[in-house]
Amino acid sequence: MNMFPITINLDIPNDPEKIYEYTKNVLASILEHIALDLGYQRRIKLILIELITNSIKHSNEANTSIQLLIDQPHLSIQKIEKGLKIAFSASSPQLPFEDVESILNISFSESNRHNIQPLGEYKFKFLKPDPEEKPDMEQMPEHFGLYIITLASDSFIYQYDPELRENTYIVHLNF
Amino acid sequence: MNVKKQNIDDLVLLTIVDKDANLTKSENFKEIVFKEIESGTRKLIISFEHVEYLDSSFLGALVAILKNLVPKNGRLILIELDNDIRNLFELTRLDKIFELKNSLETAIEDFK
Repeated sequence: MNMFPITINLDIPNDPEKIYEYTKNVLASILEHIALDLGYQRRIKLILIELITNSIKHSNEANTSIQLLIDQPHLSIQKIEKGLKIAFSASSPQLPFEDVESILNISFSESNRHNIQPLGEYKFKFLKPDPEEKPDMEQMPEHFGLYIITLASDSFIYQYDPELRENTYIVHLNF
Repeated sequence: MNVKKQNIDDLVLLTIVDKDANLTKSENFKEIVFKEIESGTRKLIISFEHVEYLDSSFLGALVAILKNLVPKNGRLILIELDNDIRNLFELTRLDKIFELKNSLETAIEDFK
């Protein structure tokens, strides 16, 4: 019988060719503890692929760790990266946020825009796009990593600890 | 990136031979297809028959290809996507932008 919560610490592959096999193995470890339908299994694989791909692209994987917390009916995936805080493009508001009440539109580049809800000076939640909004090819982004995690999760939160110089990405799934 | 090219009348079929369509291959794949478009191809089919997974970088490359091709009055059909990849297109609502077909025969029929 499983005793919840269960914590699993993961080593991150540094070879992009190993990401898919790795995510399948992690999913198999999760399924040893909880039964999940195919939809949730797909969402977990997508989230892991994009969290790891993001680390390989943007940071030194030696400074990155991922932890899973299974506490049925919830799963949280937490990625911690040492280093500088997340930076948006020059036209976007930057951390620490002065206004933590309003929804903000931020971008990393012209084709990588997001709506976020600040939850503190150094903490925000990625907001899902309006499902009624018709997709427009001209406006379609060419960077989908954070967008995919936002859509595949039930909540996706970023926070920065300026004293520890630690970036934390927290993904929640409710089964 | 391993891509097999086949001319079928005035169509070009590009089959991705690799099983991983990921960030190490997305730029190269974009270059291959851009060259194909530069050479005059306007009716393009890309087959994912062998692809097991596709990441955000490769999805971005496909969007860039579509943005390049459509203003030139070109058309792109993606075929033989497995359930996980089709699900990714649906999640990101790119299934509303891209034409997805099950088989080569259906895509060829659609181009007629």
